[in-house]
Amino acid sequence: MLLVVVERSISRYAAAATEGGLRSEAAVLQDDDRDGGRDNLIKEIERHRRAGAEEAFHYQVADRDGTMLLNDTDERAAKLGKGTVAVHDGPGAAVENFESLGVPLTNGGVLVVATDTYDILELRNRLDWITILAGVGITVFALAGGYVTGGLFMRRLDRVNEAIGHVVAGNYAQRLPTIGISPEFDLLTTNCNVMLDRIAALMDGLRQVTTDIAHDLRTPLSRLRQQLEATLEAGDASQYEAGIENAIVQTDQILTIFRALLRIGTLEGGDGRQRFGTVDLSEVIGRVVAAHEPVAEDEGQTLIAEHQAGVTVAGDADLLAQMMTNLIDNAIRHTPVGTRIVSRLERTDSGIVASIADNGPGIPADKRENVLARFYRLDRSRNLPGAGLGMSLAAAIASLHHADMVLLDNGPGLLIQVTFPAAGA
Amino acid sequence: MKLLLLEDDEATRAHLERILVAAGHDVDVATNGHDAIAMGSGGDHALLVLDRMVPGIDGLGVLKALRAAGVQAPALFLTAMDGVHDRVEGLDAGGDDYLVKPFAAIEVVARVNALLRRQPAHDVSTVLRVGDLEVDLLQRRVSRAGSRIVLQPLEFKLLEYLMRHTGEIVTRSMLHENVWSFHFDPQTNIIESNMSRLRSKIDRGFGHEFIHTVRSKGYRFVAPS
Repeated sequence: MLLVVVERSISRYAAAATEGGLRSEAAVLQDDDRDGGRDNLIKEIERHRRAGAEEAFHYQVADRDGTMLLNDTDERAAKLGKGTVAVHDGPGAAVENFESLGVPLTNGGVLVVATDTYDILELRNRLDWITILAGVGITVFALAGGYVTGGLFMRRLDRVNEAIGHVVAGNYAQRLPTIGISPEFDLLTTNCNVMLDRIAALMDGLRQVTTDIAHDLRTPLSRLRQQLEATLEAGDASQYEAGIENAIVQTDQILTIFRALLRIGTLEGGDGRQRFGTVDLSEVIGRVVAAHEPVAEDEGQTLIAEHQAGVTVAGDADLLAQMMTNLIDNAIRHTPVGTRIVSRLERTDSGIVASIADNGPGIPADKRENVLARFYRLDRSRNLPGAGLGMSLAAAIASLHHADMVLLDNGPGLLIQVTFPAAGA
Repeated sequence: MKLLLLEDDEATRAHLERILVAAGHDVDVATNGHDAIAMGSGGDHALLVLDRMVPGIDGLGVLKALRAAGVQAPALFLTAMDGVHDRVEGLDAGGDDYLVKPFAAIEVVARVNALLRRQPAHDVSTVLRVGDLEVDLLQRRVSRAGSRIVLQPLEFKLLEYLMRHTGEIVTRSMLHENVWSFHFDPQTNIIESNMSRLRSKIDRGFGHEFIHTVRSKGYRFVAPS
């Protein structure tokens, strides 16, 4: 396309240049004719022929009656205006058409100046050839280059696809090789690998949870089954009734586990944020702590509230009450008589911090993360009631509120800190 | 006093009908939203028990339609167990209470009775009296047989709720919801611990005990005979 445009421009320029040459030559010779008559004109033409070899003009000079005083062309007559004249350049040469320009001379004479267009034609032809050769060359080069790099790319892409095939086939440890060639491709495979890491972690989690659910529900279900079997052999109506009531209580416990699991699942899916409003966290935590003060007292513990008033966060009051209840329940349940449990709520530079601190036995640093996992129970708590879901649920609620829940050493005891993003942040 | 029950699941419907009839109620049963609207728009039901998830128009839609038609009867929603916002949505639609499936029979009966005997809106008495127990809601003063009893704010709230439901069974979840505004099962002993403190203050040392524990059901505030 570009070549066509270039070729056209060159042709047009060349044609204009030819015409310009003819006009100036004709004008000079007209002046000579006017100044010195035909003889002077012929003499000047002879001089031009000797001097301007490269211009190679051809001339016709005719008188009023058409008599040719000079004629370098094959034409019999001299025509005024632009045109072409037939010329054969030297003996035995082919006849060519020259661009010509006829101008009037004094006394009704006519001067025709003609010039070779061969240069332009040759330029055009050569340009065409260059165009074709360049086009073919570039195409061949591009094809060859494309074939080589494409082949390289395809081979590396094949390796990537092969790796993906392994992942699809169930080898979740497989990672994609780098493609190379350009940083964008490497970024792509790196990102895919990060995604695969995440998927693998999720799969592990899922497998873990499925196994845990099966395992942890087997215990209460087996107990329920034994209970029902025993009831079947009950001697009298009151034993029968007590057995059934017991079975209902156990069924309720199993349902409670299901409910907690469903809730954790729903919350982890992010369901709940659409109804967030402004929550008076001071009121919510105050209410939860007030409800539990007598519970702690009954357990021989002290529950102390140190809350700033009027602290608000964006969230769901019911869920936040449940989170705080689970954290306080956890502290009451897993610490001995005489433990002092402190609930704090304060605005800090890093956000709004709600915390529950106790001076009980604490949790070893390497076990703290596990406490937030579903069904996890420390060995020393296995004989206590509960399913190990309370802390997971609390963590899910915190995460729904974009709050950061961390378990720290209270030296001695456990400190659970929930940091909400500062209001308006 | 007829109740309108909307429930599409046959087993649950039969179970609920049996429970409600056993508790002495007449029950009209609808199995889909259209029937429920047709049956309920006459306004001859004292209470609506609506399952949220039914084919066609769901429970929320039914209640909205009935409220628009001028039906004022209180409504109890039955919801599946995993909805985080079911309660709020139910209340927004004009519901008065909600119950998460599966539920104990006593829970249904207690809530239905509570809704049916709800204090009329024009009851503006500021003093509750049961036997020799007197609660001044404005002064927030409690006295029994003339002697002043000092209660914590939540103990006061618990007592007020029990007194307003004198003679009825109130379940644990009703107490969680209405006294502490906990719309979840706290799994902790807050009721036992708070109830024992309230008991020691209003019942200990007097002839008649107001607060009775109803085993595996809940509590009942009993007036002296």
